[in-house]
Amino acid sequence: MTEMFSTLFGQNEAQGPPGSSSLGFGPSKPPPPLPQSQVPLAAQMPPQLGDEGPALRKPGAMNEPFYLLRELPVGNELTGNTNLITHYNLEHAYNKFCGKKVKEKLSNFLPELPGMIDCPGTQDGSSLRSLIDKPPVCGNSFSPLTGALLTGFRLHTGPLPEQYRLMHIQPPKKKSKHKHKHHRPQDPLPQETPSDTDPKKKKKKRDDDPDRKKKKKDKKKKKNRHSPDHPGLTGSQPNSSSLR
Amino acid sequence: MAEKFDSLEEHLEKFIENIRQLGIIVSDFQPSSQAVLNQKLNFMISGLQDVEKCRQQLHEINVPLEVFEYIDQGRNPQLYTKECLERALARNEQVKGKIDTMTKFKSLLISELSKVFPEDMSKYKAIHGEDASSL
Repeated sequence: MTEMFSTLFGQNEAQGPPGSSSLGFGPSKPPPPLPQSQVPLAAQMPPQLGDEGPALRKPGAMNEPFYLLRELPVGNELTGNTNLITHYNLEHAYNKFCGKKVKEKLSNFLPELPGMIDCPGTQDGSSLRSLIDKPPVCGNSFSPLTGALLTGFRLHTGPLPEQYRLMHIQPPKKKSKHKHKHHRPQDPLPQETPSDTDPKKKKKKRDDDPDRKKKKKDKKKKKNRHSPDHPGLTGSQPNSSSLR
Repeated sequence: MAEKFDSLEEHLEKFIENIRQLGIIVSDFQPSSQAVLNQKLNFMISGLQDVEKCRQQLHEINVPLEVFEYIDQGRNPQLYTKECLERALARNEQVKGKIDTMTKFKSLLISELSKVFPEDMSKYKAIHGEDASSL
């Protein structure tokens, strides 16, 4: 075997298999003497790899030409070979989040939350990170405020200064645009009929109307016929007669 | 599991609504509003107590810290879930590709070795069985 490998793969394989005793595989064929410079592969390996020993080998393989032979991996082990999203029943979540576009802003996720929540939390010190890094110093329980404690919350009448009115500022919502988009397909009028409410549509329809174009053309012709420069109408034209 | 979250969500919604109303009262304070303000303050405390009670039911819930980063940046936290799923699928495909390639390589190597070293390979197959080439 060694000779065959050496003839095929050159001098590197000429050193032959290192002795199984050096690998901890038990008594076997004595290894051929190695020169000092040529260290067997297993000897170069770290002990945790090289010293795993006979447990990895099948008993039948002890006297075979194979060494460093390990058990094959178990076939039913869960690996990346299987679709893990399907395996863990996450198709629904995948389709939900990856099938359609997820809106970028936090206010789209929490639409009912008051205030400007799309601004970075580091700007006004309201970040969750700061809550973790510097947890607030507080007691273990929450107790209701009694009469004496409530005197500390007696406020002056009048409006708040401008800088403290952030609570009521809401991010602009694009509801009207959405409404428009959603209502278009539900338009009761058929597409062929020009809608009176949509001036753009009407204008476009007017320009494209072939009857109107025809009328315009004929009107122009009629005008030219009556003009002094016009050579005159020689024959009967079906188009002109239809106008009269 | 969902009931625990529903309860917490409900308490948080009530708490936020109470805070919003408190904000409105405070923004243009009238002398007659003091009693309502006191009531709202105590309602806020009871709201905090309710949230505190929910904490005991949600001990085993782990939230990735990256989600907090998304929220702090004013981004939708669902984007994090989306990116996680996309990343998982991409890695899954990469690993599957590697496994498929290695399987093909192994079967090819075994078939070629069987041509060149038929005796040795028959011994090898005797050790590992016929499944050696298929795995």
